[in-house]
Amino acid sequence: MSRTAEVIVVGAGIVGSAIGAELALLGHDVMIVEQGVPGAAVSGASLACIGSHMIDVEELPLLAWARDAWRTLDEEVGGFDYNPCGQLRFVLNKQDLAVARAWIEVERSAGLNVELLVPAQVREVEPSLTGPVLAASWSRDDAVVNPFLAVRALLDRARDCGARLETHCRVDSLIEREGKIAGVRCATTDMSAEHVVLAAGPWTARLAAGLGMNLPIRPRKAQCLATVRIPPSIRRVVGACESDGGVEAGYTQIQQTRNGQVLFNTVLADGLVDDGAQDRIPEVDAAFIRDSVGTLLFLFPDLRSVRLLRSWVRFEAVTPDNRFLIGPLGPEGLWVAAGDCGAGFTRAPAIARLIGQMLGDDRPAFDTTLYAPDRFSCESPTST
Amino acid sequence: MRRRHTCDIVVVGAGPAGLSAAQAAAEKGLDVVVVDANSRPGGQYYMQPLAAGSAFARSTQVMRGKTEVRNATAAGVTMLLATEVWGAFPGFVFHAQDPDGAVCIESKAVIVATGAHDRVQAFPGWTLPGVMTPGAGQRLAKTSGVPPGRRTVLAGSGPFLLPVAGTVLKAGGTLVEVVEARSSLLPTLPLIAVHPDKWLETLRLVFPILAARTRLRFGEVVVAASGEERVREVELAPLDAGGQPDLARRRVVSDIDALLVGFGFQPQIELTAVLGCRHHFDEEAGGWCCTVMRDCGATDICGVFAAGEVCGVGGAVPAALSGRIAGLAAAGQILDEETALERRSLVRRLQRARRFAGGLNRRFMPPSGVAEILSDETIICRCEDVTAGEIRKEIAGGMDTIHGVKLWTRAGMGPCQARFCGWSLARLVAEETGKTMGEIGFSRPRIPLRPVPLNVVRDSIL
Ligand SMILES: Cc1cc2nc3c(=O)[nH]c(=O)nc-3n(C[C@H](O)[C@H](O)[C@H](O)COP(=O)(O)OP(=O)(O)OC[C@H]3O[C@@H](n4cnc5c(N)ncnc54)[C@H](O)[C@@H]3O)c2cc1C
Ligand SMILES: Cc1cc2nc3c(=O)[nH]c(=O)nc-3n(C[C@H](O)[C@H](O)[C@H](O)COP(=O)(O)OP(=O)(O)OC[C@H]3O[C@@H](n4cnc5c(N)ncnc54)[C@H](O)[C@@H]3O)c2cc1C
Repeated sequence: MSRTAEVIVVGAGIVGSAIGAELALLGHDVMIVEQGVPGAAVSGASLACIGSHMIDVEELPLLAWARDAWRTLDEEVGGFDYNPCGQLRFVLNKQDLAVARAWIEVERSAGLNVELLVPAQVREVEPSLTGPVLAASWSRDDAVVNPFLAVRALLDRARDCGARLETHCRVDSLIEREGKIAGVRCATTDMSAEHVVLAAGPWTARLAAGLGMNLPIRPRKAQCLATVRIPPSIRRVVGACESDGGVEAGYTQIQQTRNGQVLFNTVLADGLVDDGAQDRIPEVDAAFIRDSVGTLLFLFPDLRSVRLLRSWVRFEAVTPDNRFLIGPLGPEGLWVAAGDCGAGFTRAPAIARLIGQMLGDDRPAFDTTLYAPDRFSCESPTST
Repeated sequence: MRRRHTCDIVVVGAGPAGLSAAQAAAEKGLDVVVVDANSRPGGQYYMQPLAAGSAFARSTQVMRGKTEVRNATAAGVTMLLATEVWGAFPGFVFHAQDPDGAVCIESKAVIVATGAHDRVQAFPGWTLPGVMTPGAGQRLAKTSGVPPGRRTVLAGSGPFLLPVAGTVLKAGGTLVEVVEARSSLLPTLPLIAVHPDKWLETLRLVFPILAARTRLRFGEVVVAASGEERVREVELAPLDAGGQPDLARRRVVSDIDALLVGFGFQPQIELTAVLGCRHHFDEEAGGWCCTVMRDCGATDICGVFAAGEVCGVGGAVPAALSGRIAGLAAAGQILDEETALERRSLVRRLQRARRFAGGLNRRFMPPSGVAEILSDETIICRCEDVTAGEIRKEIAGGMDTIHGVKLWTRAGMGPCQARFCGWSLARLVAEETGKTMGEIGFSRPRIPLRPVPLNVVRDSIL
């Protein structure tokens, strides 16, 4: 097998897989290089809600497009349990009700199909949600996918268009020659390429650091719990309304998979950790279990005797403003697409589209200044 | 709602290792709590019958177990029975459930003595009712007094087949055949010859089988089982010179209603894994074992000790010795007292006992050729319905570790968390990839160690 490609994509998470598929589809000669098993980092452990609700007002065009792109992908290739189940965000107090109303207003004016439900309507949409909620927002067009099957679908698509995939191959450093990227160095081989796209999640900053660049990406501990299989009881993705304090004030996501397991998490701590933590997966925290189980049973008291089966921990890649870094970086031919901030599944097709357009010198479909990799460089060092 | 215990040392597992560890630490004056998921203490070896008047009620093992339990209790050990540990958190906080709900134990050190469990071998038909492991068959017979079936075939490899045969007979069952995969027992004779302390035990194990004139076969393995609602027939094939089953020469044994197939045990490392201890692969000791310093039972995590079969399968004698060693060392650490002298003779006896166990295990290594037996349709993971064919497909696609295969097929992700399929899966992946069992790794246990109701979890963590 030849160790040369036009484009090397580092990382086979959902972002790298989507980019690989997009570039291959556009006719580029692509090699995707993954240090471990595709999807085994944060992507495969994701709850993989494809949603545009209560994420980022300025990103709405990109999010809405990405959400539709997932539906199209389901129609074109399928096989990843795409389920347009919609998303509910519960509201527990008056303050958050105001927040929910504000979100709904901007999202509606951007053309999204969202509304506020009173408790009786919530019960209609999600009958088993019997906990005392004040209201809930309802985003009808959101969906979920099976994260592993989605990674697979995109990798298969990439390979069908001629892309190559190297697994168990870690990129140790980037090779630069005369201000241009020349390829990547793995333990035993050098691979040369005209373009290298870093989609290495929380490991991205380390690779960039090798060329003297300081990317403000930090790992964040993300945790999740799963019950044993039970008969269908939760129909939607159930989340917490973003409250006044932003993500820091707490985050909940609850959903049931097609095979019947209830997956859920409630995150109250910020979870930011130092670089290096992502190399060794720890156990979940006791407080995280307490908060997650507490919230689940508050909303769905009938699940109290269902058994907890499994927990897992992964590391997301977080930037100071909770947005991706997408675009050119340092030497000519080097690109970055990382900094998922916990919502990279939804965005992946849009990120892939942007990278495809930038790499091909086409006009980007979305406002790339939001994602400019150098947007923090003149800021005070909040990033480190 | 939750009941809370604080103590100096918590011992998880009340088998030979846990009981002697607890007793040794309590004799040093420490506050010791032993937790065991079973409703009776004793572990596998000293298993106490549940049925009154059972044929096993007065066996030597049961009587010795009673004495061990009495000694531990007399030393002041608190026993929490029918109490299953599901979580362990930093600072030695352990969460468990018993029939009344949540139990929380906080300690200064822990001794993990969770023993071993049967290695389950998959083959076409292994999911039929009536097919079980020898361990399960023995547990059934010992606790309830009922044999696993009227007409039983017992197959697999290892010295453990002998006591199980004895148990089945004693419970009143008929043993149609006992089939050992190794071609003869002769290689064990020199080993037994140099360990006179094992002569009597060997005789005691072999005698009932000979007395019942049970048919013994060597050098054959089970390749398939069949039946409508329950197992009725088993197919056996001889192993060829390369150790592979020769399917062309297979034969059928019919008219059976129970089939016990076992290839020894594997350490139960969920708790030591969740505690973050180091593990190593040792084929002779049953696979992945918790790594300890042999002279004190300390793992690489401060305050975490391990004893018995969780550190390697070897039988009840080394288990009890290593338990006592760990109990002394853990107590010494808390009391800041040197116990090396007290441990010295125990350590010597442990070395000798382990040599015998290692020798025995080496002579009964499970044969290869698992991949040969498994058809593409054979279910490997019964919780998630994953077939050998699906696993092969992922291996062909480049997955060459347990972790990768598991993620991509869901094998081992169901309620049993790979307790049943883990070994077959590992053998299949190893044989198909040409890697060793050590290289392909194991399926990492996580919290909860066992499925636990959400309301118990809620009551546990405040
Ligand atoms: C519990 C949980 C729930 C979530 N829920 C949602 C949700 O509902 N909706 C949503 O949109 N998002 C969700 N997310 C976040 C989402 O999963 C991530 O944002 C997304 O998967 C990030 O994808 P990625 O490809 O950037 O990262 P990763 O999956 O981490 O991919 C990076 C890849 O790069 C590889 N790599 C790293 N360094 C190297 C190297 N040097 N050489 C070779 N390969 C390398 C890694 O092995 C890895 O496979 C959730 C995450 C979690 C943990
Ligand atoms: C099925 C089986 C049958 C055996 N039969 C024989 C025999 O007939 N003759 C013979 O010589 N040897 C036999 N052995 C071997 C012998 O029993 C062992 O060598 C010996 O019991 C090992 O002692 P131990 O203390 O390490 O573990 P065990 O005796 O296995 O004790 C471990 C204990 O830990 C408990 N435990 C595990 N996890 C948890 C948890 N999370 N929470 C609470 N409690 C937990 C278990 O309930 C168990 O009681 C058998 C082994 C097995 C596995």
